Amino acid sequence: MKRGYLAPVAAVAVFFILAAGQDARADKLDDIINDGLVRCAVVLDFPPIGYRDENNEPVGFDVEYCKDLAAALEVDYEILPVTWAERLPSIVTNRADVVFGGTSDSLERAKTVGFTIPYAIYYAQAVVGIDSGVVTFEDLKGKRVAAAVGTIPEQEYLKYAAEWGVEDLYQGYQSENEVFLAVAQGKADVGITTNTAVKPIVAQYDTVIAGPRMPWTTDYTSVVAPRKDFGWINYLNLFITHQVRSGRYQELWGRFVGGEAPELRIPGVMY
Amino acid sequence: MSETDSIEFFTSFRVEDLWFLLEAAGRTLLISVLGISGGTVLGIAFGWLLSIGRWYGAATLGWVLDVFRSVPLIIQLVLFFNFFPIVGFPLDPFGAGTLVLVMYTSALVAQVARGGIEAVSISTRRAARSLGMSYWQDLRYVVWPIGIRAVLPSWTGVALGVLKDTALVSVLGYMELLRASQILITRTQEPFLVLAVVGAFYFALSFPIARFSERLERRWSHD
Amino acid sequence: MDYTFHWRPVIRKLPDLLEAALVTLEVAVLSMVIGILIGLALALIRMSGKRSTVWFAVGWIEIARNTPALLQLFFFGFGLGAFGFHLSPYMIVLCGLSFNNAGYLAENFRGGFNAIPDTQYRAARSLGMSAIQAYARIIIPQVFRIVYYPMTNQMVWAVLMSSLGMLVGFRELTGETQFLASKTFRIFEYFLFTAAIYYGLVKIILGASRLIAWRLFRY
Repeated sequence: MKRGYLAPVAAVAVFFILAAGQDARADKLDDIINDGLVRCAVVLDFPPIGYRDENNEPVGFDVEYCKDLAAALEVDYEILPVTWAERLPSIVTNRADVVFGGTSDSLERAKTVGFTIPYAIYYAQAVVGIDSGVVTFEDLKGKRVAAAVGTIPEQEYLKYAAEWGVEDLYQGYQSENEVFLAVAQGKADVGITTNTAVKPIVAQYDTVIAGPRMPWTTDYTSVVAPRKDFGWINYLNLFITHQVRSGRYQELWGRFVGGEAPELRIPGVMY
Repeated sequence: MSETDSIEFFTSFRVEDLWFLLEAAGRTLLISVLGISGGTVLGIAFGWLLSIGRWYGAATLGWVLDVFRSVPLIIQLVLFFNFFPIVGFPLDPFGAGTLVLVMYTSALVAQVARGGIEAVSISTRRAARSLGMSYWQDLRYVVWPIGIRAVLPSWTGVALGVLKDTALVSVLGYMELLRASQILITRTQEPFLVLAVVGAFYFALSFPIARFSERLERRWSHD
Repeated sequence: MDYTFHWRPVIRKLPDLLEAALVTLEVAVLSMVIGILIGLALALIRMSGKRSTVWFAVGWIEIARNTPALLQLFFFGFGLGAFGFHLSPYMIVLCGLSFNNAGYLAENFRGGFNAIPDTQYRAARSLGMSAIQAYARIIIPQVFRIVYYPMTNQMVWAVLMSSLGMLVGFRELTGETQFLASKTFRIFEYFLFTAAIYYGLVKIILGASRLIAWRLFRY
């Protein structure tokens, strides 16, 4: 082989070796930047945080967060619509890189997926049928109560239901919208949802009114990412703080939910 | 979109939504055709293997196919959809759904095909062979035409079953007819209307095939 | 492979799963009993040839056979709910499965009746039997024998179909599995066990069916 060829060939070889080596060490963040695409799973039956407009296109607070994240990464975004029960499997099955879906950061779920710092804070509230006579939480006893399968409100409520011995009156639905529909139709007396959803739901149905706040603790919701991708989770944590610092968090909250955005701080603990 | 009050979360059923459903029906048809044709080809091969009747065939292939017939399709879909990524081979809902449908269909068709092959009496096949036909000629010109008449109704039953079972791929998030109907119910909050329209779509896909098969069956039985 | 299986939590929940399997079996058996009764009625109505009632039987049979079972379940859930009829998840599944079973079984029964020549009925009558006796003693036992295996198949289908209960909020075997799995979202581990339980259920049904057949059809 002539000397002239050797250098480029060697260079190409070295390049491939380096590229291969790099590939083995590339983490989620590297992959997203190199693919030029971030895939966000978003729950779309969670108005006003995630829903569909009249053209069946995804919109809402979470959808905007995905767009902002893509802009920060300088990549394209893809919205993967998921139900409540599908959102964490979408990470495990690697169909999504990140979930914006009002996911409560339970210790049980953390055995399977990774959580960021809280990015939005809710509390659980009921919507009730206009004739149900439900005013306080204790009134739920003996009523047909509905919630979405695989959600924290479901698990929390069932603890009370077990205490009261009324578990058989509980109805679990695949989506929160089915819960609302059930209350509106009168299949259920009470639907447990999130405070942010109460206003649009009550406005939608004549037969549904706002119900009591649920007694369990505030719902700290986090962005979800693969459990072992720490670099990616770090990036997402930083993204969340930047959304707050830039005022974007307040802006989006004001646009979709209205009013003052809740402070993302947990009293008495360092996050 | 600047004021909270002007945002509408629910909007009523529109004519455009029929197109939305029609597109989804197209996807139902696509995944059905792939599942049924793939499953039929595989299933005939499996059925032939089983009909040869070697014990190890029945013990392995027969057992695997039996499992596919004894576990609800919805569980198969969820299992495989979650299994592929674990072994580093993530598939989208369409890919995973098609693959599971093909395997599921093949398990059902294998039983039908085996029945068809066994419907041809041994003496007929011996006669064919003694006329100088090769094994493959016997399969092609004797077993196939007789067997297919014997099992066409069962095969149609399987195919129509699979067509309707594609509704279950919706649990993986594939936007077929049923999933589309759920989205529309969510948005329009008019479950009865949407379910009726979607039911009519399925009926329009399934009923003509069922009728055609019945007529074919009747014509063949008069030959 | 970047996934570590967590089997221990599933094994701890095994009793819950087996209990849910009994619920599955219960709803499947009940839906078969109802489906057989209605299916028999539909087959007789359809064969009676009376214009005024035939359309009802044909409509039921064709809708049950030409639309997905899941859609039928949704209909009994939110579809009826739109008119103010509210069924519990258990009743939704029971009604949906019974509706479906009846449609399929009606066609099996019709095939069974058609396979019995008319002459048998006439022979029975000429021996002095009443119409009801002729049906009960001569026709139905033979039809039963013809539809026995299709009925066994339908029973297996009923068990498999009841898994759709998960999607209407019914905690049968699949619904319970989803409920348990949704705490940690270890979907694969839980559903693998459930698949094995279904396999066992189907084997038990087929075994029982063979035993009954051996007992009934010995001669």
